[in-house]
Amino acid sequence: MPGTTSTPEIELIIERKNGGGGGKLPPGGGTGGGGDDGKKRPNRPNSPGRYYTGIAIGIISVLMFFMALASAFLVRKGGADWVPVHIPALLWVNTIVLLASSGTLELARKRLALSDVPGFRRFWLVTTVLGVIFLIGQVVAWRILVKQGIYLASNPASSFFYIFTGAHGVHLLGGVCALIFVARRNFDMAKITRTVAAEVTSYYWHFMDALWLFLLALMYLGK
Amino acid sequence: MVTYDDSGNASAPTGSGRSGRVFSTRHKTIGLQYLWVSLASVFVGMVLSALLRMHASWPDSAIPFLGALETTPERFAAVRLLHGSLMVFFVLTAAPQLGFGNFLLPLQIGAEEMAFPSLNRLSLWLTVASLAGMTASFFRPLSEGIDLWLVSAAIFSLAALFSALNFCVTTITLRTSGMTLPRMPATVWAWFVNAILSMLIFSVLLAGCTAILSDRMLGSNLFSTAAFLAQQPANLVRQASLPVLWQRLFWYFAQAEVYVAMLPCFGIITHLVATFSRKPVWKERLVVLSICGVGVIGFCVWGYHMFATGMNPYAPLVFSVLASSLGVPATFLLASWLGTLWNARIQFTTSVLFAIGFISLFIAGGLSGIFLARHDLARAAVSQDFVIGHFHLVMGVAATFAILAGLFFWFPKLFGCRMNETLGKTHFWLTFTGVYFIFMPMHWMGLLTQSTLLPEAQRMALASAGKSIRTVVTVATIWTVGAQVLFAVNFFGSLVRPKTVEADNPWRASTLEWSIPSPAPEENFSGQAPVVYRGAYEFTEPSSDELAPQHLSPGLLAQKAR
Repeated sequence: MPGTTSTPEIELIIERKNGGGGGKLPPGGGTGGGGDDGKKRPNRPNSPGRYYTGIAIGIISVLMFFMALASAFLVRKGGADWVPVHIPALLWVNTIVLLASSGTLELARKRLALSDVPGFRRFWLVTTVLGVIFLIGQVVAWRILVKQGIYLASNPASSFFYIFTGAHGVHLLGGVCALIFVARRNFDMAKITRTVAAEVTSYYWHFMDALWLFLLALMYLGK
Repeated sequence: MVTYDDSGNASAPTGSGRSGRVFSTRHKTIGLQYLWVSLASVFVGMVLSALLRMHASWPDSAIPFLGALETTPERFAAVRLLHGSLMVFFVLTAAPQLGFGNFLLPLQIGAEEMAFPSLNRLSLWLTVASLAGMTASFFRPLSEGIDLWLVSAAIFSLAALFSALNFCVTTITLRTSGMTLPRMPATVWAWFVNAILSMLIFSVLLAGCTAILSDRMLGSNLFSTAAFLAQQPANLVRQASLPVLWQRLFWYFAQAEVYVAMLPCFGIITHLVATFSRKPVWKERLVVLSICGVGVIGFCVWGYHMFATGMNPYAPLVFSVLASSLGVPATFLLASWLGTLWNARIQFTTSVLFAIGFISLFIAGGLSGIFLARHDLARAAVSQDFVIGHFHLVMGVAATFAILAGLFFWFPKLFGCRMNETLGKTHFWLTFTGVYFIFMPMHWMGLLTQSTLLPEAQRMALASAGKSIRTVVTVATIWTVGAQVLFAVNFFGSLVRPKTVEADNPWRASTLEWSIPSPAPEENFSGQAPVVYRGAYEFTEPSSDELAPQHLSPGLLAQKAR
């Protein structure tokens, strides 16, 4: 079973005990010693493996999106009309906020692993709030630039600045929605456990974090 | 603690999110809906191509049906754009991967459903929205139409990304017991590799569309140079942009898109050739490796569209070598198909005819690709008609043949009856001769009318020769489009009047989708996941002549043989 950790394996066994309908052999599957080369694996349409695989592939795809823009940035920056943008100092504060949110997210997951759901909720909420603060901070940074008279249409460098921060913001907003979703969803009836949902969300969140560092470095060093 | 949905394994039809027949999340319904989208698009696209050819031959007469719209060169370009968009996005990308793939992938790997059914439904309706947008953009004035077209292309990219995610995850995580990677049918391999490729390239198209839309609508300078724009009159600023960067991003997507259209067709043809030869695929591993190879190399060759645009002087050589090396996996695939057909007792059904037709078109069209991959030749000796002839043979028509081959083959699985073989074979021969008469002369036309290297007098003489060839092409186009009436009659006739209830496995195929009744029932495997005991193309046991499908255990098989 690709992509699963040991926890789902344990859950799998429990699921079998509960008679969740998994693992029935097809008729004749056991006769004649034929089944030996096909490993018996219950067909579980709701196995968590799909979520891990899905987020991994989704991340590659999002990365490709930003790489296309980044390569355009690198090509474009050689042009004669390139006027570097001075990155507002606020962006560094935002970066620290975002990094801190990754930290609190991990703390929340640690709480969840210890089955401390209230503690998990507290740290999870802090993460969400930090994420929202980051987004608000980005908008404020835009306003600072606008006050300086640097608009999207001013020159290529400013266009790329707005496009990078905007596209990253939209993707991060998706992450915030995922955080709220995980916090508010009633997992008793759901197809996946809260642990899995929190883990999958954390992958995406850390990826957004790393992506922001990359974009910031690109814009800072590439100006 | 354990909170799996209890109805999960049975995947009962009562499950949530399966509302109605139109907005269904069932993979089979969605697959069929994609096929309907493709069917509608292919007929409109074909009629447009006939109009284009007629206009090229008789430029003085107005384009029929389009008299109401203005008759400007831009309108002609818009017809071409609509023809291309419909065919590439909604036929070649949609039918073999999203149509057949959605319907058959879970069946062939023994799963009940795709990994994310709701996401699947979302991507279907995004595709439909994109189709509506691209069609509507045709009726708008050009500059406005282009914006709408770009928005639609971005929506299609999203849809394709969601689908590709679904295909990847389904193939990786939902295979049934015993369905190891080497036992996967070639079709599954092709859909899988194709989904990975789509994941990578549609992101780039989405990024490109986002950037150019921001340029066009918000006035940013991602592609356009401010210094250049400053010298232009204000009313021209919108149109004047730096196209090379956009071209690069676009071709990064668009060249790989060719392989996105072709890869599932390779899978389908491999599958059909083996099934109707009653033999294992010759060098099956090599076929799988070649499919992967086409995916990898296809990802790296975008630059050869830029030979005429200009690039770093060393780059064309690299791209040229890469593009030529695509011939290696292509040759392996051809060798395997021919090797499988060799000495086989081939059952010449309509779908085999279309499969062999595909192989023929693939060779014919692929050969002219060798010239286009040469950076020195592509710039000097080859004109647009040559390119059009090349890619229509190798990509457009060949892929359509693969789709038709697949449709004749899986029609019982989709609808529970067969299509008429006599009509189908007539349709095949008319289409097969027709497309060769269209696209082969088009190659000659391209070579003849290429004018830059020839002296003036010779050029004029050749141009008049080109005119008669053009008439041949136009007549052949009308012939071919007309022949599709036979297909429509066959297709809809079979749907309206199913002759007999079809056997569950009419072609004696061995993959899992044929282990269940035809048409495929609401629940794929009635809640009992099949177990796979052997490869996809081991048609008979060596000891007996009994059919050895993937799901039958050796014990049961021995009992049956006795």
